[in-house]
Amino acid sequence: MSKAHMKLGAFLMAGGHHIAAWRHPDAVAEAGVDVDHFIDLTQMAEAGKFDMVFFEDAAAIRERNVNTASQAARSTMFEPLSLLAALAVNTSRIGLVATASTTYNEPYGLARTLASIDQLSGGRVGWNLVTSASELEAENFVSSGLRPHAQRYERAEEFEKAARAVWDSVDAGAYVVDGKTYADRAKLCPVDHHGAHFTVQGLLDSPRSPQGRPLMVQAGASDAGKNLAARTADVVFVAAQTLQEAQTYYADLKSRMPAFGRVPDDLKILPGVSPIVGRTESEARAKYDALQELIPDEVGVALLASYLSIKDLSQYPLEGPLPQMPDTDGIQSRQQLIIDLARRENLTIRQVARQFAGARGHWQLIGTPAQIVDELEERFHGKAADGFNVMGAYFPGALEDFIELVIPELRRRGLFRDEYEGRTLRENLGISIPARAA
Amino acid sequence: MHIGVSITPFGHHPGAWREKTEDAIHFNALAAQVKKAEEGGLDFVFFTDQLGERPLNDLSPQAVPFEPTTLVAALATLVRKIGLIAAAATSQHEPYNLARRFASLDIISKGKAGWNVVVSPEAAARDLEYIDVINGLWDSWEDDAFAYDKASGRFFLPEKMHVLDHRGEYFSVRGPLNVNRSPQGKPVVSHVLTADTLEIAARSAELVFIDPSTADEAETLVLDLAQRLQRHGRSRSDVRVLANVIPFIGTTKADAKELHERLDALSFDGEKPSGLEITGTPAEIADVLEEWSRIVDGFTVLPPLVPESTDAFVDHVIPELRRRGLFRSAYEGGTLREHLGLSYPEHPAIAERRIS
Repeated sequence: MSKAHMKLGAFLMAGGHHIAAWRHPDAVAEAGVDVDHFIDLTQMAEAGKFDMVFFEDAAAIRERNVNTASQAARSTMFEPLSLLAALAVNTSRIGLVATASTTYNEPYGLARTLASIDQLSGGRVGWNLVTSASELEAENFVSSGLRPHAQRYERAEEFEKAARAVWDSVDAGAYVVDGKTYADRAKLCPVDHHGAHFTVQGLLDSPRSPQGRPLMVQAGASDAGKNLAARTADVVFVAAQTLQEAQTYYADLKSRMPAFGRVPDDLKILPGVSPIVGRTESEARAKYDALQELIPDEVGVALLASYLSIKDLSQYPLEGPLPQMPDTDGIQSRQQLIIDLARRENLTIRQVARQFAGARGHWQLIGTPAQIVDELEERFHGKAADGFNVMGAYFPGALEDFIELVIPELRRRGLFRDEYEGRTLRENLGISIPARAA
Repeated sequence: MHIGVSITPFGHHPGAWREKTEDAIHFNALAAQVKKAEEGGLDFVFFTDQLGERPLNDLSPQAVPFEPTTLVAALATLVRKIGLIAAAATSQHEPYNLARRFASLDIISKGKAGWNVVVSPEAAARDLEYIDVINGLWDSWEDDAFAYDKASGRFFLPEKMHVLDHRGEYFSVRGPLNVNRSPQGKPVVSHVLTADTLEIAARSAELVFIDPSTADEAETLVLDLAQRLQRHGRSRSDVRVLANVIPFIGTTKADAKELHERLDALSFDGEKPSGLEITGTPAEIADVLEEWSRIVDGFTVLPPLVPESTDAFVDHVIPELRRRGLFRSAYEGGTLREHLGLSYPEHPAIAERRIS
């Protein structure tokens, strides 16, 4: 597989990625209960030859303050694995990636569920492994609160090994069914895992995946996360605002792979991008402004407060400047960026909130197809990305725009496929089918 | 009467797989069985789960090679009328995850999902609390909680969201569930009745599966259940009780017998399916079902050989039952609850407001 083609994910979400997407006149406000809407979007992405659709997840409502939550479309949504199963039998080529937690699942049950969807889809499933960092999720499972980061990653490391053993417990051709023999025992390798966190025994209860094992996806940003990704991930999503930030991450992660006996090309890094595209620059700008107008102040300010790691901004006047920030260790580079920009451009709290809430801190591009592809190409050829996870501002409009306007420009420059290369997700990504562990 | 079919790749007779090939385990073959059941206007299809006795060293022809909830999610997009019940074990899922999964299935299927509770006999107190948590999470939202009001920016009405805040002996679950309430309010909850599950079923089941070998045995079970229901402040009419039946259907009695004997002979160690076996013509099968309908509300068909037995049941037994006025001529409702004649579960907040 040549480096010539970008890999593209369509990151789908109820309403869209813009925080106020659901209020857009063309957005489907009831997306979280409309399975046909997600089938349509996935079929649309498949017609556009996207490598995969991607769903994030949190096993909790996302906002503790009920009044803020009540203004956000992502308060409720399908459970992603059941949604993925529904999409699997209504598509034939596109990859299907869902997020699931190693902290609040058990390896056999999750491995088996993913294997089941992998069968339903003919080998097109991916698992975005997360360790669930939110307090609200912890409160739905345990009384002891959120486990420390290091403990969650320890569990995740063992979880992945156990899941892999479950997927490897049945080899291709194990189901014989010839009237005399049901299963070829020589092709069964029962799991016998005894670790610090899990004891797993038995066999997978379905045939081996057509792509060997479900694709492993991660978004590790911490040191432990990057090491887990370097050892296990086939695809990594990352939030990177600047070219330099993206290049640093790309080089760092790929340089960790040889230590785990892997070659850098076996892992595809797809930074998130939120493109707002118009036939002209002013059309794109108008689309963006229309969305920005829809952000309820309370939602925008609450989100800004969370980016700035401060408890509450609502006591300050919306038309006034950002208050003096306490000088703590919590302030990191991106937060400093927000503060610097607000000071430099003399922005009010409302203006800053809207600017950052819109794309929720992700890399945003507003412009014509050529302008957007220029930026994507620079990162793709600049060792900053192997492709992108496209975060449409609102659905279906933003996905339609990307397919109609941006993908033809990518193709014109030879940067994206005309047709799927294979039937499984691994084949389309150009990632080899893993051999069963001996 | 109410009729469902329990789906397996080859049929419930242990010898059935020997007449079939590997094609039977694929999704399309299973989906074809479900479509046939829907063609017959049946109430539901049922997928059991062997996870309680996970395959340790060998694969079983009785197992469906898909995880049942994901299989049901996929099927829900291909059939639009028949109910879809998946088994899931309380020991295998965190309550928040299970409540989410089934709430999600219920929305994907537009109100046709059911959860068959697989309990842990050695952890009865935990299971009781588990089911309370599930029900509490399914009541996170009132029916009209979601306003979707683009103009005002109000996605849901804050006063119609209910935070569970459960802190019990076994579970600590804040809530709310991050999935909407479904078109049938909540998924239908079913239990397979055994000595271990009588009490928990009396407390929480809306649909009960029994596996008696004689009518007397069935009568005793149903009577016992009715008494227990009363103790929990429920009535017999709140619950549908269905008996498992294994129909060997032939154009003639001799054909039916031949099928039965053929499958028995194929069974490696003389193993036979568990349940009430009926061997005969469609009219003879209908006779037995009619006779039993004095005792139970309907049946779960365990077809011994598929697709043949399911096809014969839908094509020949169902028309016979219809001629006798014992089975619906077409779907009358849109949800599994409506198929089963179960009432819509009123949200507790509505009842509270009515009282106060």
